[in-house]
Formats: sequence, structure tokens, C-alpha cells
Amino acid sequence: MRKHPIAVLFGSFVAVALSGIASAQVVGKVEDQIRWRQSAYQTMAWSMQRIKANVEGTFNKDQVTQAANVIAALANAGMGALYQPGSDHGRGWRETNVKPEFFKEGEKVRELAQAFNREANEMAKVAAAGDAAAVKAQFGKLGESCKACHEKFRKEEK
Amino acid sequence: MCGVFPGKTPPPRRAYVWDLPTRLFHWALVCCVAIAFVTAKLGGNWMAWHGRVGVLIVALLVFRLAWGFVGPTYARFMHFLPTPRALRDYLQGRWQAQGHNPLGALSVFALLGVLCLQAGSGLFSDDDVAFAGYLAPLVAKATSDRLTFAHRLGEEVLLALVALHVGAIAFYALVKKRNLVAPMITGWAEGRPEESTRGGGVKPFLLAFCLALAAAYGASGAWLPPPPAPAAAEW
Repeated sequence: MRKHPIAVLFGSFVAVALSGIASAQVVGKVEDQIRWRQSAYQTMAWSMQRIKANVEGTFNKDQVTQAANVIAALANAGMGALYQPGSDHGRGWRETNVKPEFFKEGEKVRELAQAFNREANEMAKVAAAGDAAAVKAQFGKLGESCKACHEKFRKEEK
Repeated sequence: MCGVFPGKTPPPRRAYVWDLPTRLFHWALVCCVAIAFVTAKLGGNWMAWHGRVGVLIVALLVFRLAWGFVGPTYARFMHFLPTPRALRDYLQGRWQAQGHNPLGALSVFALLGVLCLQAGSGLFSDDDVAFAGYLAPLVAKATSDRLTFAHRLGEEVLLALVALHVGAIAFYALVKKRNLVAPMITGWAEGRPEESTRGGGVKPFLLAFCLALAAAYGASGAWLPPPPAPAAAEW
């Protein structure tokens, strides 16, 4: 049976609309987004401390690898999705520290985020290789990429 | 300004104003603050040096505070208290003495004060990346966060004060034709020999030096108990 042209048109409208909804699906309310991103950064902070302890004290390749993989996983997790419009203000675990400029300077944000991604993935690679001196050097670069974004887009008063 | 001396051979018209420890303190502080500023901007592994140079700054400041009480004439705080009267005299051109002029004294106290706050807050700061001041383990994270904020504000205030300090020296050099840098290097300034700085011998120096060492030890956190060894976790 041939479909009526109107039905075809209607069907494609529905399909487009559904796919549109699917790709633009925002997961979580603003307070959820903020809480998740705060949680992710706290988890990264834990992992940074672990790497630091290994770099400064006795070096344990397994611990460093675990920590570096956690950071890389979060860097690759698509956390940009947690910065929906309107999430420049709100309370997760506490009030968000993001500056409003973050939502206006998309190009700069992307640049900083990609730099962080690169350093985080490199950190995981270097950690797997297990050379303490290389880990220390890459750890420094990773920290710089964190700081670059903090300086620009993080409020310091808490 | 220095009076007219009768007689045919004019006596040497200079006075020893800045003693060696004061000068060494001054230039060491300049270097340390510059390093602290640059390492803070570089971030990453340079923050370790930011912490170390911070401890050195603590030591220098404690030395200078002590030297301000037991040091020689012109290094003593009591000698250059910027009282309203001294400030008025100076602004009306009636102030005539050696050492810090009353406006300069304000600058000295402001710089020392802000640097003490900077060094003190820095010890408890945490940049939330990979560096924390050596005494941060002693305070709650919320306290550390507030002090970190103060530390960042202090940076701006300090920059402004340094700019003012350098600007004033440039003003003296260009407008008033007076070189203030050379005396801080050589110790000698225009003046009468009998105006030279006095006091501040070896014993007071050792006292200030030991206090500085003790402060550095305290600031380094070396006396803090090491964190406990982790319990074995198989997961």
C-alpha cells in the first residue's frame, strides 16, 4: 500500500522532531548539572593529589595510572553538556563558582577545554609508561591547563 | 640643606644611612617577590618554588620586623613613624632628616604590612590544582578558601604598592633630581658624616637572624606530623 504524501510528510516531521529532541536532550536540572560538575572536579582534585603524592614521595606506577585514568575519563566525558544556559547561577553542593563570561566566550572555553583534554590524555599515556620524571613533567603541564581555565572562568570568592 | 661648613676644605658630605643587613634585606625581598609573582603566574610545577620562596619571604619579613626594633638608627620603626605631624612638616617642605621621609615611611609600613598578610595567607592557601601552602593542613578547607581569596586580592594590592614605590623613586630621580637607588645599594647618602646610622651590632643581628630562621622553620610545616600510612586496600 502506498503511503499518502501527507502521511510521509507528517512521518518525517515526527522523525525529525524526535531526533531533534534526542540530540538536544538536556540531562539533569540546573542544580543537578552544577552538582555533577562539582563532583567531577572534586574527583579530579582527589586524583591530582594522588599523583602529586606519588611524584613527591614514593612513586607507585599503579596508583598514578589509576588516578591519571580517572582524570582522563572525566576529561573525555563530555562535561561541556553540564554547562547548559542558565547554569551560570545555582546551587549544587554549594553555589557554583563559574563566572558568567564562561557562557559568553564559547571559543575561549573550547580552546581551554581542548587543551585540558589533550594534557589529561597525555597524562594517562605517560602514567602507563611509568617513568617518574616524565610523569612529574606532564603533571605540571596538566596543572597549568587546569589553572588556565580557573584564572579566566572561576570566581575565587566562596 | 646640609648646612654650610666654615673652613677651606669641605668635609665629606655624605652619611652612611642604610646598613648592610637592611640593604641585603631590601634587595633579597625584591628578588623573592619577583620570583613569587612569576612562579604564581606560571603555575604547574613552578608552584613548588612559589611555596619555597614564600617561606624565604616569611624569614626576610621576620628579620626586618626584628631589625626594626634592634637594628641601627634608620632601620628602626620608631625612627620613621609617619606621624601626622611629620607628614605635615614633610608636605610643607619643613622636614629635614636622614632615613625614610614620612611619606616613604608610609610606603614602607604599607609594603611590610601587605607582604606579611600575603605571606601569612599564602601559607594556608590552596589553589585547588596541585598546590597548597605548607600550613594548609592546619585549617579547614573553608578557611583555606577564604585565605586563598585574600591571597589573590593581596596580590593586586601589592602590585599597586610596588608601582607606587617605584613611581615615587622615579619621581625623585626625574623631578627632584635625587637618586634614591644608589644609597640603597651603597648605603651612602648625601648628608653629614655625624648623621650616619648607629647601632645594630652583631648580637642584635644574630637575634633577628635566629628569629627569621625559627619563622622559616615554622612556615615550612616541617614540624607537622607526617600523614599516617594508608591502610592496605585491595580494591
